[in-house]
Amino acid sequence: MERRKFLKNSALASGLFFVPSFVKALESVATERLGYKRLVIIQLAGGNDGLNTIIPYNNDIYYNSRPRLAITKDIIKLNDNLGFHPSLAPLRSLFDKGELSVINNVGYPNPVRSHFRSMDIWQTASGSDEYLQSGWLGRYLDRHGKKPYNAIEMDEQLSLAMKGEHFNGIATSDYKVLYRSAKDPYFKNVINHYNDAHLSEHNLGYLYQTMIEAKSSANYIYDNTKVKLSQQEYPQNKFAKQLKNVAQFINSDLDTKVFYTSLGGFDTHANQNNKQSRLLSQYAESVSAFVKDLKRDKTFEDTLILTFSEFGRRLKQNAANGTDHGAANNVFVIGKNLKKAGFYNNLGSLNDLDDNGDLKYTIDFRSIYATILSQWMDVSAEDIIPAKQKLLDFI
Amino acid sequence: MKRKELQHLYWRAGFGSNSKSLKTLPKSREQVVENLFKSSKSSTPLQIDMSFMDGISNESLKNNPKFAQELRVKSRKKVVELNYAWVNQLVQPKELLREKMTLFWANHFVCKDNNVVYAQKFNNTLRAHALGDFRTFVKAISKEAAMLKYLNGKQNRKAKPNENFARELMELFTLGEGQYSETDIKESARAFTGYNHNFNGDFRFRKRQHDEGLKTFLGKTGNFSGDDIVDIILEDRQCALYISKKIYRYFVNPEPNKKHIEAMADVFFKDYNIEKLMRYIFMSDWFYQEENIGAKIKSPIEFLVGMVNVVPVKFEKEKDLLKIQKLLGQTLLDPPNVAGWKINKAWIDANTIMVRLKLPSVLLNNAMISLKEEGDFNDNFRKKFFKRNKGKLPFKVLPDWDTFSENFKFAKTENLEDYIIQGPVNKGTLDYLETLNKGSKRDYCVQLMSLPEYQMC
Repeated sequence: MERRKFLKNSALASGLFFVPSFVKALESVATERLGYKRLVIIQLAGGNDGLNTIIPYNNDIYYNSRPRLAITKDIIKLNDNLGFHPSLAPLRSLFDKGELSVINNVGYPNPVRSHFRSMDIWQTASGSDEYLQSGWLGRYLDRHGKKPYNAIEMDEQLSLAMKGEHFNGIATSDYKVLYRSAKDPYFKNVINHYNDAHLSEHNLGYLYQTMIEAKSSANYIYDNTKVKLSQQEYPQNKFAKQLKNVAQFINSDLDTKVFYTSLGGFDTHANQNNKQSRLLSQYAESVSAFVKDLKRDKTFEDTLILTFSEFGRRLKQNAANGTDHGAANNVFVIGKNLKKAGFYNNLGSLNDLDDNGDLKYTIDFRSIYATILSQWMDVSAEDIIPAKQKLLDFI
Repeated sequence: MKRKELQHLYWRAGFGSNSKSLKTLPKSREQVVENLFKSSKSSTPLQIDMSFMDGISNESLKNNPKFAQELRVKSRKKVVELNYAWVNQLVQPKELLREKMTLFWANHFVCKDNNVVYAQKFNNTLRAHALGDFRTFVKAISKEAAMLKYLNGKQNRKAKPNENFARELMELFTLGEGQYSETDIKESARAFTGYNHNFNGDFRFRKRQHDEGLKTFLGKTGNFSGDDIVDIILEDRQCALYISKKIYRYFVNPEPNKKHIEAMADVFFKDYNIEKLMRYIFMSDWFYQEENIGAKIKSPIEFLVGMVNVVPVKFEKEKDLLKIQKLLGQTLLDPPNVAGWKINKAWIDANTIMVRLKLPSVLLNNAMISLKEEGDFNDNFRKKFFKRNKGKLPFKVLPDWDTFSENFKFAKTENLEDYIIQGPVNKGTLDYLETLNKGSKRDYCVQLMSLPEYQMC
C-alpha cells in the first residue's frame, strides 16, 4: 500500500473527522481580497556596482577612475550619456516600450557601508541612525494583511523586510515541500483534537494558532496554484526558478500582494568584470522571461517589479580589479503604464562625490517605498514608512 | 524539591534535565541552588584554533591589501567555527548556569564582529562576568574591541564625537528608553572619546583624542571619564530595575510581574552583584509558582540544545548545525541588530513553527512521526519508509538512542510527557496522546517533541 493511502486509512480508522469550528474559521479563505495590484521585490545582495550597470559612457571621469574596469565595448546606449551594461540586452525592449524606469542616485543620509547594516536599513526603511525591528513590507502586512500567504518570500528563511510587528509573511523555496511537511497526519490529528476557543491569548494558544495558520497557508498555496506548465522558457538558475514560481503564483491568482526574491554575489572586490557580467545576465534574462510569462497571462499590468541593492560601489576601482563598498545606487522599476519611464533622473555628478569618493544620493529610497505604497498598493504610507517622504511620480 | 520544580529550575538555569540527572540531585532547594552556583564558580573560555593569525601584524596587512582581504575571508569562516564551538559548549557545559547566563548576556550586550579574534574575546568577556559584578561588566564591555567597532566607539574622537555607543549604553544596556535626554547622550559620548584598541584587540586609551573638558551628565558636572559615566548611571535605581525586568522576562516569565521585579531590583541595587540576584530568584517561592512553569517559549538555541540533551545527535556535516540555527531564526554570533533578538512570541511565525514541529522527527527518526495506533507501523513498514526517505533528508545526523534509554530509564513510557513537556498540555491534545499506543519509548518521545507544547519551557 502507498504510504499516503495508508495514512489516510489509518486516520479514517481513528474516526477523527471532527474538525472544531474555530479551526475551520481560521482555515477558511478570506473572501475579501486585498486587491489585485502586486509587488515583486528583487534584491541584488552584496552591493551591485551601479556605475557598471548603467554606464556614463561619455564621462572621462568614469574612464579615468576605472582604467581596467570601465566597460568600453558593446555598451547599449540609451541616451547621450547613459547606457546599459551589455548583459542587460534582454531588458532593452522593456526600456524602449516605456516599461522600465531607472531611478539614479538612490540612497539615504549618512550611508553605511556594511552589508548587513545597510541591508537592514533598506529592509526596515529606517534612517542610518535608527534600528527598527520590523521590515517595511512586514508593517504593510501588520496593517493590511490577513494571512501569512499575503506575502511570500521565495526562500527558506524570511527576510527582515517581510517581518512585521505582529504579522509575518511566509517563506518557501518550494511550496510542495512546505505542503508535505504541513500535512503530516500527526499534525492534522493534533490540530483536530485541539480544543480551546481562546486562541492566541496565551503563549500556548499562540503556538497552536500559528501552527493552524501555517498549515492553512501551505494548503492554500498548494490547492490554488495551477500546475499547468508555463509555456515560457526560463534560464536554468536558482534566481530564474524563483521568478518562475512567482509567475506561477501570480498567474494562478493567489491572494498574494508581495513577492520577495533575491540574487546574491554582487560583492565584487576582486576581478569584477566577469562576475558581474554573469550575474547581470542571469538577472536580465530571468526578468525578461518573467515579464513575458506575465504578459502571456495578462497579469503584467497588475504587477510592479522593484530591483534594489543595499549600496552601490566606489567610483574608483581598487587594486584587485574590483570595487569597494559605495553609497548611492540606481533602482529599477518595471511595470506597465509607468508615468515616467526611461531615466527618471540624471546620474549625479562624478565630480561631486562624498568624503569616501562615493556617489551622493539625491533620492531617498524611502520615498520610492512611500510612492509604491500610496500610488500602487493604494494604502497610506504614513504609518509604514517612519519618516515623512516626498512622493515621486514614476507611477 | 518536587520533580516538577527541579525540572523548572534546570530549564531556566540550563537546558532541561533527564530522569537520571534528576535522581542525583539533593533534596533541599538550598542545596540544589548552592550546587548550581558552586559548579559555575569557574569559567571555561571558548578557545578555537587561531594559528592562522600567527606572525601577522598590523604592518604586514597595511602593505598588502590583497592579503588583508584574504585574511578577512578566513576570519569570517573562523567565526562559523566559533559558532560551532559555542553550541558544543552549550550542549556539554562545565559550568551550566554560567553558560546560560552568557547566552542571556549575549542578547543584552549585543555585538557582532567578523574578526574572529575580537569575537572570541568578546564572548569570553561575557562569560567571565556573567555571574559577577555588573559595574565591572559594563566597564569591560565598553572597552571591548568588538564593541568599539560595532558601535563606532573607535570613531568617537574629541574633534568629532560619535554618539552611537553612548546612546545604546543607556537605551539598551543600562537604563532603557526615555530615562535620559539627548544632551546626556552628547555629554557622555564626550567622556568615551579616545577609547580604542590595538591589533590584538586589547584596549588602548588615546589620550590625545580624549575630551578633557567638563561634562554635565544626568545632573552632575565634572571632567568625567567613560568609567565615571558608568558609575553615575548605576547610581540610578532605574538601572537595577531595568536589568531586573530583563532578567525576569528571560529567566522567570515573559509576562512581567511588577512586585517581583521591584523586589529583585532592591536586591540588585545594593551592590549590582549578578550572582546574588540570580540566587535570590532561584530561592524565591514565587519562582516555582505554577504560572511560571512552562510559561516561556524556548529560544531556538534552548529548543535545539534541550532536544539534543534528551537524545544526543551527531551531525555528520557541521554545516547543518548552522543551517538549523538559520532556519530556526537564531544564529549565534550573528544577531539581527544591536537590540538583539526579540524573545518569546517573536520566535514563532508560520515558517519557524513548522521547522520546530518537524525538526525532532527529521533529526531523530528520519522525518517520521509515528501514528502508532494498533498495527500502524510495523517494522516492515518502518524499513520501507526509511529506505524511501534515505538521501532525501535535509540533514545527516546520527541520533544516540542508547544514551536516551539510559538517561530516561527511570521514566515510564506512559509518563514520559512529564519529563519531556514542561508546562500544561492542551486538553484535546492530552486526549489524543491517550489514544496513542505507547509501545515504544522512542516513538513516544518523538511524538511529544513534535507538539506545540514542546516549544514551551
